[in-house]
Amino acid sequence: MKAYDQGSSLFWLLFSVFVFIESNRLGIGTLQNPETGFISFGASGLLGILSITLFLQSSFRKEGAKTKSPFQGTLWKRVFLVLIALLLYTKFMPVGGYLISTFLLMTFLFFIVERQKLRWVLVLSSLATLVTYYVFSKWLNCQFPPGLFGF
Amino acid sequence: MEFFQNILLGFQVVLDPTNLLLCFIGVVVGTMVGVLPGIGPVGAMALLLPATFRATPTSSIIMLAGIYYGAMYGGSTTSILINIPGEAASVVTCLDGYQMARQGRAGPALGMAAMGSFIAGTLSVIGLMWIARPLAKAALRFGPPEYFALMCTGLIILTYLAQGSILKALMMALVGIIIGNVGLDMITGLPRFTFGIDELTDGVGIIPVVMGLFGISEVLINIERTLKRDIFQTQIGHLWPSLKDWAVAKWSILRGTLIGFLLGILPGGGAILSSFVSYAVEKKVSKHPERFGKGVIEGVAAPESANNAAATGALIPLLSLGIPPNVVMAMLYTALMIHGIQPGPLLLKDNPDLFWGLVASMYLGNGLLLLLNLPLIGIWVRVLKVPYRILFPLIILFCLIGAYSVNNTTFDLFLMIFFGGVGYLMRKFDYEAAPLILAFVLGPLLEQSLRQSLLISKGSFTIFISRPISAVALGFGFLLLLSNIFPFIKKRRQEYEKIEE
Repeated sequence: MKAYDQGSSLFWLLFSVFVFIESNRLGIGTLQNPETGFISFGASGLLGILSITLFLQSSFRKEGAKTKSPFQGTLWKRVFLVLIALLLYTKFMPVGGYLISTFLLMTFLFFIVERQKLRWVLVLSSLATLVTYYVFSKWLNCQFPPGLFGF
Repeated sequence: MEFFQNILLGFQVVLDPTNLLLCFIGVVVGTMVGVLPGIGPVGAMALLLPATFRATPTSSIIMLAGIYYGAMYGGSTTSILINIPGEAASVVTCLDGYQMARQGRAGPALGMAAMGSFIAGTLSVIGLMWIARPLAKAALRFGPPEYFALMCTGLIILTYLAQGSILKALMMALVGIIIGNVGLDMITGLPRFTFGIDELTDGVGIIPVVMGLFGISEVLINIERTLKRDIFQTQIGHLWPSLKDWAVAKWSILRGTLIGFLLGILPGGGAILSSFVSYAVEKKVSKHPERFGKGVIEGVAAPESANNAAATGALIPLLSLGIPPNVVMAMLYTALMIHGIQPGPLLLKDNPDLFWGLVASMYLGNGLLLLLNLPLIGIWVRVLKVPYRILFPLIILFCLIGAYSVNNTTFDLFLMIFFGGVGYLMRKFDYEAAPLILAFVLGPLLEQSLRQSLLISKGSFTIFISRPISAVALGFGFLLLLSNIFPFIKKRRQEYEKIEE
């Protein structure tokens, strides 16, 4: 875990440096008249200090056995594919409309974890799409994008 | 005598068939949205708000309030069964509720959550009736330093929640404050960290953040592991907790009710903070704090009682001062304003039917929820027994709809997916999401009160210790911090002594 703590602490250090600089740009003001960047300045400064502390703490920590990667032995590619599918859905929904885009997303998601019969997947996707559409759009008046096809 | 007349007036109002029906619809919808991850009470209230335009103000407020406290009941179910909080106030219930379910004690956990909620809901309604006015007067005396001190104490309590590294928990709290800073500066009106994105001027929404960090990331963690994961192997069993459970949890329920009720009154407190604080207090007063997070019934009873009590307590500043203390109350505030009712000190005088009707509806609603909730658990469990390969796309879909329905914008979907990815990596690298969420909620209020305090004191920090309420709150927070540091120092000293030997 040592290397991962070091890596993540460096990430947060970079993040805090970015926020610190941006807060300065926004204007910190004075104690008598704190301005827009006041709180984020303080929070990022503290975050930077804690990140360095974590880095040093993990660097001086002794670890016996070699720790394995948190991604080792996992199906991380599947996670990546799901995230990509969700991003595509978000991008496509205003164009394709709720019904079409949700049906496609559901078909993909039902299919990705375990290969199932296509007929079964299509039935489940249709049901999920139609039921949520009628409950949320028709009953609860949620305004889903109609898309180019008008539904 | 006047008190009983008011109560009678309240029941006269709520027993009107329309109000009764709307109260029923409110608590059922509330339980449903609380149970289902992806759509919380805020989203449900926002969705149903236009539907109340034709109803009277009293009917509207009865239904919308029913959604809120109904969601507090329902939120525990998914927290306990699938480790995904139905709404943010049930986040902390995941810690022990889910572990109890893993140990085959899902039934008592669910039963205790429902009973605790009922007891807390009823007691806090009594509290609302008896002490609304004097307590509101006391809260009226709170200035920015007091609020700042209370927020700080709330954030210090985060360290208690850390299951892993306290350092990482503090880092996440600071990240939460920074994310809470995104949007327009509430004092100067200048945009911060918006990077030219219009949607960010209103800030980052709590729902996409919570759904991303808890809902989506949980799904991602699950699908990377195995195809044949059966998360519902546990037997629900009988829902009624044993006498031993009651003996252990009775004081937790009462403490949770008191904490929830009092914190619910404070702006920014509400159900989320009270559930966290009550959990921290239980852990602290417990003789076996090391068992917390591993499936103790106090860890379910206290936060579930607290979030229900807070739901009631939060009505006090709204109805008596006209200040909505949290997002949900802001929805009720909006609903009242739409109906031409000005919440505030004159509300009780000008609209006694609304105030007492609401109080009576909450009595009735809490009873209805207890009657409905325990039998409904079986139905939800059956829904949740669906194999994970079928359940996970549905959870994602509800999260998507929940995030989208608040503002009807796909930008919130992007945010939710982003925080889903971040939450996944945080889990991988042992960073907890709960401190981030709590700090994110408290951050803007903390900033506002700090800046206002410094403006009042002309830059002097002594304002926080010269005022008794803030001094006591900060002193309490300081003691909490010390109580966290001392065991750490003791542990280190023991380690050094071992090395020296």
